[in-house]
Amino acid sequence: MVVHPFLWLILIPLASAPLVYLAGRLGGSAVARGLALLALLLTGAPLIITAQDLISQATLTVALGMVQLKFDGLSLLLAVVALGLGACASVFSIPYMAGELGEEKYYAALLGMIGFIIGLGCAADLFNLWVWFEAMAVSSYMLVAFYRDQPASLEAGVKYLVQSAVGSVLVLLGIAAVFGETGRLTLNHTTTATTGLLAAGALMTVGFGVKAALVPLHTWLPDAHAQAPSGISAMLSGVVIEAGLIALLRAISPVLGEDSTARFGQLLLLFAVLNMTLGNVLALKQTQVKRMLAFSSLGHVGYMVLGFGAAAYTGQLAAAQGSMFHLLTHGLMKGLAFLSAGALLYALYVANGTHGPLTVQDLNGASQRYPLVALTLSVAVLGLAGLPPLAGFMSKWQIFVGGVQADDPLLVVLVVFAALNSVLSLAYYAPLVNALYRRVPSEAVQHGKAVSWAMMAPLVILSALVVVLGVWPALVDGLSGPAARALLAGWQ
Amino acid sequence: MNLPPVAIAWFGAMILFGVGLYGLLVVRNLIKLVVALQILAKAAMLAFVAAGYAQQQMGLAQSMIALIIVADTVVAVIALALAVQVRRRYGTLDVRQLTALRG
Amino acid sequence: MAALLIALAIALPWAGALAVWVAGDRRPRAQHGLAVFFAAAGGLCGLGLLGVPSSETVIRVPVGGVFGDFTFVPDGLGIFLAAIATVIGSMAVLFSVEYMKGEAQLGRYYAFVLLFIGAMAGLVLTSSLLLLFFFWEITALTSYALISFHNDDPKAVAGGIKALVITQLGGIGLLVGALVAYVNLGSYDIGLFLARSHSLPPQVLTVIAFGFLVAAAAKSAQVPFHTWLPDAMEAPTPVSALIHAATMVNAGVYVLARFSPAFEQVAGWSTAVALVGMVTALLAACMAVVTDDLKRVLAYSTVSQLGYMVFAIGAGSALAGSFHLLSHAVFKALLFLGAGAVIHAIGTRDMRQMGGLGRQMPWVSSMFLVGACALAGIPPMNGFWSKELVLETALGHGAWWGFVALLVGAGLTALYTARMVWSVFFGAPRAHHHAHDAGPAMRIPLVLLAFGTLTTWLLFGPFAHMLAEVLPGVHDESTLAFAVHVMTDPATWLAMGIVAGGLLLWHIRARLAALVGRLSLAAQVAAEGFGFETVNRFVTQAVRSTATALQRTQTGDLSWNAVGIVGALILVLILLAWGGIP
Repeated sequence: MVVHPFLWLILIPLASAPLVYLAGRLGGSAVARGLALLALLLTGAPLIITAQDLISQATLTVALGMVQLKFDGLSLLLAVVALGLGACASVFSIPYMAGELGEEKYYAALLGMIGFIIGLGCAADLFNLWVWFEAMAVSSYMLVAFYRDQPASLEAGVKYLVQSAVGSVLVLLGIAAVFGETGRLTLNHTTTATTGLLAAGALMTVGFGVKAALVPLHTWLPDAHAQAPSGISAMLSGVVIEAGLIALLRAISPVLGEDSTARFGQLLLLFAVLNMTLGNVLALKQTQVKRMLAFSSLGHVGYMVLGFGAAAYTGQLAAAQGSMFHLLTHGLMKGLAFLSAGALLYALYVANGTHGPLTVQDLNGASQRYPLVALTLSVAVLGLAGLPPLAGFMSKWQIFVGGVQADDPLLVVLVVFAALNSVLSLAYYAPLVNALYRRVPSEAVQHGKAVSWAMMAPLVILSALVVVLGVWPALVDGLSGPAARALLAGWQ
Repeated sequence: MNLPPVAIAWFGAMILFGVGLYGLLVVRNLIKLVVALQILAKAAMLAFVAAGYAQQQMGLAQSMIALIIVADTVVAVIALALAVQVRRRYGTLDVRQLTALRG
Repeated sequence: MAALLIALAIALPWAGALAVWVAGDRRPRAQHGLAVFFAAAGGLCGLGLLGVPSSETVIRVPVGGVFGDFTFVPDGLGIFLAAIATVIGSMAVLFSVEYMKGEAQLGRYYAFVLLFIGAMAGLVLTSSLLLLFFFWEITALTSYALISFHNDDPKAVAGGIKALVITQLGGIGLLVGALVAYVNLGSYDIGLFLARSHSLPPQVLTVIAFGFLVAAAAKSAQVPFHTWLPDAMEAPTPVSALIHAATMVNAGVYVLARFSPAFEQVAGWSTAVALVGMVTALLAACMAVVTDDLKRVLAYSTVSQLGYMVFAIGAGSALAGSFHLLSHAVFKALLFLGAGAVIHAIGTRDMRQMGGLGRQMPWVSSMFLVGACALAGIPPMNGFWSKELVLETALGHGAWWGFVALLVGAGLTALYTARMVWSVFFGAPRAHHHAHDAGPAMRIPLVLLAFGTLTTWLLFGPFAHMLAEVLPGVHDESTLAFAVHVMTDPATWLAMGIVAGGLLLWHIRARLAALVGRLSLAAQVAAEGFGFETVNRFVTQAVRSTATALQRTQTGDLSWNAVGIVGALILVLILLAWGGIP
């Protein structure tokens, strides 16, 4: 049987995860690290081949018995973000996690998570989607509660697990309702939505919404994203919640019909408003850097949902494409922000043997000892605020164009509201940058340790990408365009 | 009164769902919380039984339920492992004591 | 040629920013040298652009998708502003060599100044609405970074964030206008927009016109957004001269002038612009009269003069507005740099602690006096000619109310200028200072700008010719004809009388003491910014209390979190059922 190489995209990380664990157990953590990096590097090869094949075909399909896997533009976008950010996070983690108890488990779970996310993008039916989603969730539970001797980390892990598990059950009930109503589980739109299908849509929206951190289902996110090891925070904020959002958007396709698509669009727009407001307003009050970044992720999910909601509400491709672009740029920027903050957290606390939260005050004068990390953190948060010439400006612009293009006064108002939120976000990003460049270094900075090159390399790469995409946004049109078309193909 | 079996199964699933949700909202003990999660998961499984029966696709439904049981067990195991750690670090299983992270 | 010059005018300063950053703070001499070199090279490109005006698109980079083409056009309006930005930019950089000597973190300072110069050149030269907004935001970012340059001073940090938030808030107007224009025309090209604006539905054009007005008002510190500019004075003084007097704050005026041919057909737009300008000119002049901080006086005076420009555009003469912009950029940069030299010498900005500095700083005081005469509108300085042109516009276009208001404003300007010059350079010293006069790196820009203040009005002929090709309704007029018609206009003599009255008022201030005492309440209101600061505080407070209230919802209690999930499920079910159950 000839199978398409995209299967290797999933198989390599998943197969190497147990190998990494075993190797770490038998050969020491250095072997585990090396093997994990090698696996991620190897996965790049099928990614390139698949991307090239996808130019001529809209979808690639592989059937494994009853289960079908489909690789389309959206799968590619998710795979690129997961693998790219995963590689950055892994390199970053080499010095960050060195010497931690259970290091091999960390890399194994990270590899598993990457594989499951790529698989989630390829799921061709509802139940399969849930299976990948659940597997991704399980691997992330282990990573969030990785510091199991830290009370805060445990608390975050417990909340994350319980809330995600409830969400997962809601999704299952939704799938059961779709199955019972139509007898099929494919991810295609329907003609007219029945009451049962609408209820199923509600269950799945809320269920996946827990993972995508839609307000008011978000309450676990600030805890989990702030307490996880920094490399994992980058993955959680940069890929995992987005994967949840993609799962949500794909999963509701079977309940979208002529009359219900616009209705779900309005629902998504409502969540967009809630997310933007709560995320940005609460980030204002945060004193811990990682927690602030976590709240900012809520706001950014809001921007993405705005674009997707507009796309569902009006059938606009441009809005969905803008959101796909923002998904990518947010992955880069938030990944960069968490990794940079993590580098400082490492230098100021972890390397000194403590786990204290990194507060904004601790950042005072960090640029004097860590000029590069201060610069990358500034690039990240200014990009998140949507300032040019950084990627966030262009992706927000594209979402806004999509919103205004729909020629609906409601959407124009929402675009203005989103822009207002961007301005509001400056009120917490700007003080962060100011602190970095202060002249009087904080106590923590004075006692800080050095940051190694392995930590800085991913930061430099991500910053360069953030700047390049801010100047030349069309570079990734080939990713965001097909992704948006693939999503809308299931809806219309 | 002669209820069709599908309706009975749906009804049961809803009752289990309600019980699970109630437990989720009021229970303080972490172990009991895991039990509530289990009840919720059982509601989902029963819903699959009902759906499979209604669509005359019991085979498919059963295979899906088998997978759900596996996943559900894994989650329960991790949850209980966390509960053990919580008991060790905090000396209690009361989830209302776990409110250091807020605001 | 033009394409190369445009590319260099933007790229050279940006390359300089990178070079200074790479040079590192351990080599301040190299940083000073590199910054001056790249800024001056940019200035030469800016001057070179004046020789190749064209209304063709000379650079077109197709980006594709919803990003359109990145285009640049070196037309008259654009190149004159680009020349101002790059030339005054290089003078400010040269001035900084002495002013910033020995400061820490020079790399950050110069990098942002150079980044700003390039972005400002890009802002006025681009003909893509997307790039216009792009550069617009970069200038806001650099302005913020430089205001907050002294990061350890909470006032500087607060001022920077205030400037950033207020200008960004206004920027939403430009954003929405640009998006609406793109969606309706399918292109970001400004030339195309101006040509086809007649075919747009009226309500669409109204949204764009007023959106742009809001953005321009915020950027140019017009009422009700003017409050950020005085607080921006925490920036190092060369930055105040460059960004907050000569260039960035003009971006709003530029946008209004650029788009006025299309927006004049929008009902109420011209009147609104003229009103905003007039109110700003008057209010800011009043505030300048009662302020004791030297840089804040200059800031209020900038706001007031920007009001004149905005009014001129609203009254229908983009030429008068642009000409005053040119004069103002030169003499206000001179005044700020002069003030910078004073502050650098004595270490305070409080005019109550100055006085009698004229004898100790003869160079600075004589140059400052030239600029002050221009600000007050005394012939033959450039400020006199352009202000008269604005006043004439008011009269010529039937806006007599504006004329009267601006006359009063001119009198107030003369009054606060006299007060400022007197308190700083004349009278008895009120504090003991050992002031040293400016060194060579400060003197060169001061002399050049003073020379410009005396002479730029002679360029009226070529200036009008250049703008006549861009803006419809601008008449080509020679400098001589212009001078004759200004001097023979009775309005000019009336204005000069008012200015003399303003100066006289300062002279007899002792006798007016009783009156001033009675006006102290008004002075207090003016010092408080006429209540606009209260509005700012209210908005900030409202956001903060919302945040505090919302923070209580994040309890950290797992049962409560579960309530969120159940509640959301119920909410979603209700909302989906709202549209009717199928």
